[in-house]
Amino acid sequence: MSQQVAHWLDNLLKEIEGIEVRRKSSRRVRVDVPADALPALLELLQGRAGYIHLSAISCVDWIDDDEFELVYHVWSYESHSLVSAHIRIAREPGVYLSVYDLYQPAAFFERDIHEMYGIHFEGSPNMEKFILTEWDGPPPMRKEFDSEAYINEHLSWQEYNPEWLQELVAEGGGVIIPPEEQRFSQKKK
Amino acid sequence: MSRLQKIPVVEEKKGNPLARVFDDLVRFCRSRSLFILHYCTGCGAIELPPAMTSRFDMERLGIQPMVSPRQADILLITGYVSIKTLKRVILTYEQMGSPKYVVGICSCTVNGGMYWQSYATAKKLDEYMPVDLYIAGCMPRPEAVISGLQKLMDRINSGEADSWQDYYRNYDYYLGNQQKLFGEDWQTPTDIITEAKHYELMGEGTLGQHTRLLEQHQKPLEALEMRLGHNIKEPVE
Repeated sequence: MSQQVAHWLDNLLKEIEGIEVRRKSSRRVRVDVPADALPALLELLQGRAGYIHLSAISCVDWIDDDEFELVYHVWSYESHSLVSAHIRIAREPGVYLSVYDLYQPAAFFERDIHEMYGIHFEGSPNMEKFILTEWDGPPPMRKEFDSEAYINEHLSWQEYNPEWLQELVAEGGGVIIPPEEQRFSQKKK
Repeated sequence: MSRLQKIPVVEEKKGNPLARVFDDLVRFCRSRSLFILHYCTGCGAIELPPAMTSRFDMERLGIQPMVSPRQADILLITGYVSIKTLKRVILTYEQMGSPKYVVGICSCTVNGGMYWQSYATAKKLDEYMPVDLYIAGCMPRPEAVISGLQKLMDRINSGEADSWQDYYRNYDYYLGNQQKLFGEDWQTPTDIITEAKHYELMGEGTLGQHTRLLEQHQKPLEALEMRLGHNIKEPVE
């Protein structure tokens, strides 16, 4: 049964030009789409193939390619299979269309991605701060955001040989990995 | 003559000899009736139910959970303290009645733990409020929690656990660190300086440049609006 569905889905995906379909397993398909073809693909998957559940939208920052990758995961309850649609958009200005009119839960994911990566989704109902309501720095999941530099500026590191630790060291406890082996900024190059 | 000078002279404490006895008694009673407010910020909270319930039974030490900060003695911070959470932790801490004790459980409260590189997590809890005791571990087992709390009881009994006084005496230092993180206009509903005067705990570090900054930005507090029922909008068709 599942093989039939898989075969049928592969035929369906051939209807859209310019997409690359890679079947990972009988229940998992990866589709690489040009950014402008994604709404059509999702509409097709939702309307004709029963992929009615948008599980997640995830985002990857490919800073060397100057691109963001957005991955739309849609699930079908009928064929019990997942389609992951990958698109690439330019990092600047970082604007893409919202799929809120197709999948309402997208509003939630898009708001989250907007907050963490600064991508603006046109047509999404709410682009306000979601979790980082008291954050006024840059979007923190972008690769150019230097977390350690931010900490050096705003927070302070714990001392690694404070007086109160001496007792624990005498008892056989204490710090095993010194910070210079962990912190990237202190690593010997 | 030189030998005579070496004889140590013990100065007896003046005043009512019974006062110390009474203090000892108060401290003894205090250390055996502790109410904890567990501010469960992270994964360490999962070790508290076994520590509280019949397996390890915290109550045999006289320690019980309490629901409100006003009635609690110990503030138990179990896990990472994000900057947003830290604001709430400070609000909670300031609402507690003195004497109050702070226990930081898990590595995260000590040095950030596995969130050492996170932009959103405070690394040193004792910069923002005085901490009496840290229980390190990721996460500490209930045995460690119990042994830590026993140590706190000993410290209360011997009078060493007085870091809550430090918050009043060095309020300027703590407020300065809070302002550095939350911005200059950071303000809590509790007036610590008036409380310090009330407890007669004004120290050299109570007032300073940061408290002056607080006075500049301070807005008078307004009572919260009382509302009954829900104010949910009807969906528009």
